[in-house]
Amino acid sequence: MTPTSSGRTLPFAAIALATAAVFLLAAATFFIAIGQAPLRAMIDLVLFATGDAFSRVESLLKAAPILLCAIAAAIPGRLGLISVGAEGQLHLGAIFGTALVLAMPQAPAIILLPATLLAAAVGGALWGGVPGWLRGRLSVNETITTLVMNYLGILMVNGLVFGPWRDPANLGWPATASFPDAARLPVLPGTGLHLGLFLGVLLALGCAFAFSRGIRAERVRVLAMNRKVGETYGLNFPRFAVILMATGGAAAGLAGICEAIAVQGRLQPGLSLGYGLTGFLVAWLCGHRFLLILPVSILVGGLLAAGDSLQLFHKIPASSATILQGLLFVTVLAVPGVLNRRAS
Amino acid sequence: MQYSPSDNMAGTAAIVPMVSFRGVVKRFGALTACDDVSFDVAAGEVVALLGENGAGKSTLMKTLYGIHPPDAGQVLVEGHPVAFTRPAEAMAAGIGMVFQTFSLLPALTVRDNLAMAWPGTPWFLGPQGRNARGALTRLAQLAPGIDPDARLGTLSTGEQQLVELTKVLNLSARLVILDEPTSVLTPAEAERLYGLIRDLAADGVAVVLITHKLADVEACADRVVVMRRGRIAGTGTASAMTRAAIVAMMMGDTGVRGGDPRGLPPRPDLPARPYPQLLLRDVTTGTAPADAKGITLTVNRGEILGIAGVTGNGQTALAEAVVGIRELTAGEVLLDGKTISRRRLEPRQPLAIGYVPENPRENGIVPGLSLAANLALRGIARPRQHTMHPEQVTQCLTDYDVRPPDPGRAAGTLSGGNVQKLVIARETGEQRDALLMVFPTMGLDITATASVYHRMVDAARAGAAVLWISEELDDLLELAHRIAVIRDGRISSGLPVTPQVTRAEIGALMTGGQP
Ligand SMILES: Nc1ncnc2c1ncn2[C@@H]1O[C@H](COP(=O)(O)OP(=O)(O)OP(=O)(O)O)[C@@H](O)[C@H]1O
Ligand SMILES: [Mg+2]
Repeated sequence: MTPTSSGRTLPFAAIALATAAVFLLAAATFFIAIGQAPLRAMIDLVLFATGDAFSRVESLLKAAPILLCAIAAAIPGRLGLISVGAEGQLHLGAIFGTALVLAMPQAPAIILLPATLLAAAVGGALWGGVPGWLRGRLSVNETITTLVMNYLGILMVNGLVFGPWRDPANLGWPATASFPDAARLPVLPGTGLHLGLFLGVLLALGCAFAFSRGIRAERVRVLAMNRKVGETYGLNFPRFAVILMATGGAAAGLAGICEAIAVQGRLQPGLSLGYGLTGFLVAWLCGHRFLLILPVSILVGGLLAAGDSLQLFHKIPASSATILQGLLFVTVLAVPGVLNRRAS
Repeated sequence: MQYSPSDNMAGTAAIVPMVSFRGVVKRFGALTACDDVSFDVAAGEVVALLGENGAGKSTLMKTLYGIHPPDAGQVLVEGHPVAFTRPAEAMAAGIGMVFQTFSLLPALTVRDNLAMAWPGTPWFLGPQGRNARGALTRLAQLAPGIDPDARLGTLSTGEQQLVELTKVLNLSARLVILDEPTSVLTPAEAERLYGLIRDLAADGVAVVLITHKLADVEACADRVVVMRRGRIAGTGTASAMTRAAIVAMMMGDTGVRGGDPRGLPPRPDLPARPYPQLLLRDVTTGTAPADAKGITLTVNRGEILGIAGVTGNGQTALAEAVVGIRELTAGEVLLDGKTISRRRLEPRQPLAIGYVPENPRENGIVPGLSLAANLALRGIARPRQHTMHPEQVTQCLTDYDVRPPDPGRAAGTLSGGNVQKLVIARETGEQRDALLMVFPTMGLDITATASVYHRMVDAARAGAAVLWISEELDDLLELAHRIAVIRDGRISSGLPVTPQVTRAEIGALMTGGQP
């Protein structure tokens, strides 16, 4: 965010085109390497992501948790904190939300649904707030704590669904009982597209607004760029660290409960397909700009969804989608930098 | 004015200059920082580069060093055109530069910092390399007092400067550029530096010394080059130029005000009845040498209390304790009877006193925010921010001579001196009950220095209790009502400034010798 002093920067369109070209080249190389016809595979990739109503919904379904997790990383990122904890926060959100559903399965939807979402947000906020507090008060590195708490969160879900929460009716399959209908997220009729995506979009827009204007946004900026100066004039860095980490955590927590109640219909292992890390990468790729995070999450969601279909129809390894995603991140990170350096 | 070979030192005139600037132009947007600058530096010559804050001195050197490649014109090294785009290339060509802001790693020890940059260290040996001893030889020469195993972050600004200097000298550069090296050095450290610069010149190294201190020029420069508003205002042989001539060249026709050649204000009168406004009671921040220990002071309303001392003797800790950003282990600070210091870093009140911190680029501004936002920083924690009108901001910037007075410009792009002026504008812009200034004139040119002292005196006259931490003994003796000396974090005495107190007496207290 420091002002660039000298040197020309290329027009955005040129950079975007060049980046896309490099990514296509890299993807083609990858397809050739695994013995696929590159053009065919890539056309299919696009078709599988956007070709028909079903695939578009699939893409958006994948995009929802990525978007929420990217927000979870971007909010503390605005304060200069590097939180990789969305994965753990997502799991905690699922645990808290599930606990509520299991505690009052008979409640009407009008109560159960908001309460579940709220509980999930609280769970995620807790998992984010603790590293935030440690960072603010005791200067414990938040990247390390969030990383460790990811493992804790995942293990806690496993512990619960293999143990106390396992539904005996599952015949040994580790999962809770199916959630009652009252806990299901409202779905756009005929699509399967659930409320999670809308929550994510709303949050992204809200954050874009909140972090761009007003005295609070200014305070965050001051603390991010020069904590000492901010503290000299009375800003409380620890408080900001806790609040922003917790808010981010709440977003990831929502992603967790949405996956559990809308996609899987119960809590079970394998809740997240690495959404936390993907979200983190998206957030950093976009420089914590919420309006950019929105389309990029959808793009990456499409890539992941299409990867699933590719695997099915082209008989390529399941990890292909992950590799494509990696190629995308690397090119988007590297190409603009290299181009700008050349240009100046 | 064009540099002609006859200005040069006798004997080297016929040789190709070490460095030549030929019509160098560097623009930042609409601002032309260097405007058609041409001059040469010969091998074995020490050129003092002078000029007001923002004249373009640092920028000119950065055009050579590969940080800001020139927009037009040429730089030649030993007659060959060069166009470095990175400092590493300049270094490889034998050019070393010490910046106003340093490039050291605060978490590493002095030894590691030097070893990392020591060309003799093979990469695989890393910081523990055998050659570290070689890297330390010059440090011992330049600053025998610095412990090589101290973490860099614990050193004072002056000491860090010396380490940075050692790092550059270790490169065996043929051209050494020093950007205001003496602004943070003690008189003794500066003396050693002068000796070293003369030694370098005797070995045939070309030296460019950017400075605001005419004493530096007299001590070691062969030639003076003066810049004003991006252009060369004049050059001359150092020994042939009077102080007045240099100042006139720097300031152009604006000149220096008043009877005093430096334009200092008179010491303000004390109010008839003393009223203790700012009280430091047994202020203690810890036990390390740079911690404040049991400091008790009273500053009356309208009084200027100077604190003399060699940097690194607890001034930073004392200042941060007073403004409440460093925890006290004992004692308290009272303003008008109310505690303003804190024992623990609990939620705090907005800063009550005016505070001009040491090294304002790091401690006083948010570089990425605009000048307007930086001016409004004091209100950042208040529930509602009262924002100044853009015209008011521009007016304030103009009043304090911040150049350029453009409210929307990012504060980080200001020159060193202008950053300081910006902070002073914010902190003294409104009348306050107390004012704490830490090395407030560091890096400022003559007019800017005088204007800072005018602001300080005005604040005192209006009733502020002024606590002024400084190394400038002459200025302290001229303007402070009383002077206390800080050493090893303790106040060794508080003397009223009377004609009996001499420079030597205070100097002795500063260094621990007997008066
Ligand atoms: N990176 C930058 N971006 C925009 N403007 C800049 C940048 N660096 C310097 N400037 C501007 O160029 C002018 C010259 O700055 P420079 O740092 O060279 O001054 P200087 O002579 O070294 O002053 P000082 O004595 O205060 O250090 C100033 O007006 C400054 O604001
Ligand atoms: Mg400078």
